[in-house]
Amino acid sequence: MNDIMKQSAEKAVAQVLGKGALAWTADVNGNAFGWVRLCDPRSLLDLAPLLAEIGARLMTVTAYRNDKYGREEGHEIAYHFDLDGVVLTVEVCLPDEPPKVPSITPWFRNADWNEREFVELYGIVLEDHPNPRRLFLAADLDEAVLDRLVPLSTMMNGASTSTLWEKVFAGKQLPDWAKGGNN
Amino acid sequence: MSATYTLPVGPLHVALEEPMYFDIRVDGETVRSVELSAGHVHRGIEALAMRRNYFQNVTLTERVCSLCSNSHPATYCMAVENLSGIPVPERAKYLRVIADEVKRIASHLFNVGIMAHLTGFDSLFMHAMEVREIMQDAKEGVYGNRMNLGQCIIGGCRRDIDDATAEFLRGQLEQLKPQLAELYGVFERDPLIRTRTRGIGLLPREEAVSRAVVGPVARASGVAYDVRRKAPYAAYADLDFEVQTDTRGDVHSRALLRLREAVESVKIIEQCLRQLPGGPICTKEIPVIPAGESVARSEAPRGEVFYYLRADGTDIPQRLKWRVPTYMNWEALQVMMRDCQVADIALIVNSIDPCVSCTER
Repeated sequence: MNDIMKQSAEKAVAQVLGKGALAWTADVNGNAFGWVRLCDPRSLLDLAPLLAEIGARLMTVTAYRNDKYGREEGHEIAYHFDLDGVVLTVEVCLPDEPPKVPSITPWFRNADWNEREFVELYGIVLEDHPNPRRLFLAADLDEAVLDRLVPLSTMMNGASTSTLWEKVFAGKQLPDWAKGGNN
Repeated sequence: MSATYTLPVGPLHVALEEPMYFDIRVDGETVRSVELSAGHVHRGIEALAMRRNYFQNVTLTERVCSLCSNSHPATYCMAVENLSGIPVPERAKYLRVIADEVKRIASHLFNVGIMAHLTGFDSLFMHAMEVREIMQDAKEGVYGNRMNLGQCIIGGCRRDIDDATAEFLRGQLEQLKPQLAELYGVFERDPLIRTRTRGIGLLPREEAVSRAVVGPVARASGVAYDVRRKAPYAAYADLDFEVQTDTRGDVHSRALLRLREAVESVKIIEQCLRQLPGGPICTKEIPVIPAGESVARSEAPRGEVFYYLRADGTDIPQRLKWRVPTYMNWEALQVMMRDCQVADIALIVNSIDPCVSCTER
């Protein structure tokens, strides 16, 4: 079964990207993992219907920054499909300004929640989604919360009041910076 | 009078005491459409996972879900092992299966118990919970904990099962077996359970496929997908068990299927205890986790758990993403609740064995 599905995947990917675009790895149990890179997000619109045709099931979608700390720009999105036991991961490079990707909900209905989630976490622009509401995050929160590095010290300062520092410096002269004002 | 009304259900106390808001359009007592509004317990665990090192994340992922709490660190560890190529000792593979299956039995009994409670059959609810207590005691005796077992570590397992512990676990299973058989009979034949749960919450096979549902929800609708069989991990390739399926796709068939799976889990644990190979239970050396990416999957009590790991060569993941089985099953509720009665909403919600906090992470 594994081999049949691997061949179907090879064929579907070859139609869009040509031969040799699909790399395989395996775990110790012989489960196969396929990896594909798409450098143009629009070609997702060519590949998605072919994958739907061979019975792929969308498992989930992962968006990520190319560099976790944002030292260099750029996002990618990995679409993880299951082909009757074979995992196929399609990684899509996004343009920088703005990071934009088409929706694959016409072929994979359950992409709905997954796509809404990466929009709110990374501020990625999604085209032609049938229901582009917030999924988990409240409407009054800023978009792209996972895109920003908030150092722990910054977060803790925000949460500390002058009362805390009065306890820390109990019986001593309270330094000016701890007297509040910004808190 | 043909006007429809909007009935807000939730966010609190729909089947389980976890928050999910249902915006339901009703026509008299009949549900016409359902909209879901999530996000009430979004914890930002994926952001936390990108701040902690690989070892700290074992502890973190165990706290994603209480009832699937072994599946998460186990699958996360598999993703790390797939990336770094650490070989897991044979004995550890069996120990991981035992932990997974013990959790599965307890989880399934919890779910069918809640179903009995929602039908108003509270003595059956208490009985199911009492039977579950056998497994809770087993967890406490073997692992020292009743919910989070803390069994999985990168490269193997934390606690061994020696001869005396194995004997204790066998004893618990012996106690459980007749109770499970009796419970199955009650859930299968009791007139109250049958009246309230048969033929409601229907999910036809084609909808199960198009909505990509997983786990017992998919299997009760005729989609025979079980990761333990389709993409075997740990020691499952060497174990003999039957993937449970049904074609009725209603609330009743999902509950019975879970009970049958619990019976299979007992068999799996017994086989593991019989076949348990000798040797170490974890690797000695601290693994190097190279830059790269990997995925891993396992069959949690609620269905397929999926982990994707992206590493940049540091000791902290560049990205760690996971998807819990309930994630897709929520949206299938829109099919299951179509034209159902208001009184059946909680029963139908419970039949997907919902887990809100792990869906939102």
